[in-house]
Amino acid sequence: MTSSPTATIRPGCVFSFTSQKIDAAPLRTRLLDPAAGGYTCFEGWVRDHNEGHAVRHLEYEAFEPLAVKEGERIVTEAIERFGIQHALCVHRIGDLHIGDMAVWVGVSARHRAEAFAACRYIIDEVKHRVPIWKKEHYENGDSGWVNCERCAAPGASTHEHEHEHGHPQGTSALHSHASAPVPDYSRQTALKEVGAAGQAKLRAARVLVIGCGGLGVPVISYLSGAGIGRLGLVDADRLEPSNLHRQTLYALADVGRLKAELAAERVAALNPDVEVRAYAVRLDAGNAADLIGQYDLIIDCTDNFSTKFLLNDCCVQFGKPVIFASVYQYEGQLQIVRPASACLRCVWPEATRDGIVGNCSEAGVLGPVPGVFGGLQAFEALKLLLNLPGQLNDELLVLDLLTLSTSRVRTKRAASCPEHARSRSPSMQASTADMELAFESLDDALEAGFDIVDIRQPQELREWPTPASGSRNVPLAELLHGTASFAPGRKTLLVCATGRRSLAATQELRDRGLSEVYSLRGGVKGIRTRLLT
Amino acid sequence: MLSHIAAARAAGETLQQTTADKLIKVQYYAILREQAGRSEEAIVTAAQTPHELYAQLKARYSFSLAPEMLRVAVNTEFGQWSQPLADGDAVVFIPPVAGG
Repeated sequence: MTSSPTATIRPGCVFSFTSQKIDAAPLRTRLLDPAAGGYTCFEGWVRDHNEGHAVRHLEYEAFEPLAVKEGERIVTEAIERFGIQHALCVHRIGDLHIGDMAVWVGVSARHRAEAFAACRYIIDEVKHRVPIWKKEHYENGDSGWVNCERCAAPGASTHEHEHEHGHPQGTSALHSHASAPVPDYSRQTALKEVGAAGQAKLRAARVLVIGCGGLGVPVISYLSGAGIGRLGLVDADRLEPSNLHRQTLYALADVGRLKAELAAERVAALNPDVEVRAYAVRLDAGNAADLIGQYDLIIDCTDNFSTKFLLNDCCVQFGKPVIFASVYQYEGQLQIVRPASACLRCVWPEATRDGIVGNCSEAGVLGPVPGVFGGLQAFEALKLLLNLPGQLNDELLVLDLLTLSTSRVRTKRAASCPEHARSRSPSMQASTADMELAFESLDDALEAGFDIVDIRQPQELREWPTPASGSRNVPLAELLHGTASFAPGRKTLLVCATGRRSLAATQELRDRGLSEVYSLRGGVKGIRTRLLT
Repeated sequence: MLSHIAAARAAGETLQQTTADKLIKVQYYAILREQAGRSEEAIVTAAQTPHELYAQLKARYSFSLAPEMLRVAVNTEFGQWSQPLADGDAVVFIPPVAGG
């Protein structure tokens, strides 16, 4: 299993394991180059706690023939991808103590930007992909094998937990994991407005897309790429050859199959992180409430007024935001209906019905027109979920792609609107879309800058401690009586067993004006379930 | 500024020349764009309201839609068919569309 220790990297190699203390100085000299303008390195150290447990020391073990190959591949990728001069990575194996260096990455490059980026890439990919086991020895005398940190990610179910002697089986399972690429959101989390906290918001989001046609295809593609937690796809239609000029997710060979199922297959292939649900039904008065109730944000990609108005009425009733778009030949319209905004019936005449203007089959449409509008819908969805500025609000956007002329027309909630009169004070039913966050572990939340407050009763905590160090326990009643103080400018993540109490508490605190309070979706049980699967 | 308006007036098409003429910038969308054969134009008109203006244009371009089936926006805000028009207003006629 383990091979002979390697204190240094052999010439020509860029990744290795060593069972001896890592000495960075000679490694650094290997990176010197007259063409290099700088050098960055990352040192990973053994820390004294993990997932709420005090750690005394730990052991690293790797299946070297495989792990070295994967490590070499990662460093070589980084060199090619970032155009850097040199890069090296050394990982310790064997017994390590608190403060010991577990991994060292060094990069030299012409400019600092590539150096930092490549260094970050290497350490992230090594943690994701290289099959390394870590056995933690806790202060309380227990110990447990933990796989490389990302193997607990949803969709990658090769996690070896508390598995003392499972190496042969573990090896084959990890082999397939090591070679399978995993979703990488680095290009969007690099945006300072997104970051790890934004990614957690996307992972917590549940979005229902009604219609998997010309508008639906770009919406579905971009939202699954972005790592939306749950995506529901509604469409009763089967693919026709005339769809393909604008519905680019599908192939000619798919003709005749249900679009909802085809789209779900594409999503699963594109991003296994997304929980995708296909509904091959037509939205109607009998199923609308049930479907909409399971999602936080609805995207209308339908092609007829009767469904659009049904959706409008239902979402006004339930206080759910809907992003509407419609296209016609070379142009289209975009409108967002929110709990407190004008709705479709506030804007459009009562006489609006199907047949007064043509749809795509009657009037014709160029393929990129729904592509542009579906893209705008996906973009507005991300703005809404990430709470980015500049959201389309109480406005109708009309864009003519032939002349590229746009009209933004302010909409007003109509006093005479029948739908708002019928709904039960929709402004009181603010969406909870931006209140919940999903994290794989509470350490991720701590790293993303959240203060963690566990709102369960003390006896619940005794049975099932908060899986994070540095969290506070403030039982719900105490929290709502206002005796707990929140540090100004800090983000707080409320945690309970399943996420229900923490969401209710978040809604209450938001109503009191605390905008930086969030709820952990799924609670501590959700985190435990993810770790065990 | 005045000469600019005069030039625009000269370029604009005249529907009814009276002393109460105003210059209105009109934009068409969807089926109205198709039927008008253009997406925008400047018009000199005596129409007092969007309703009157649409009636004149409907006669000229044989628009198939009754005003009850579309919305009018005046200066980037949804407006009433009966509200007064002023010189220099921008009027947009928007039919609802549903394609996807």
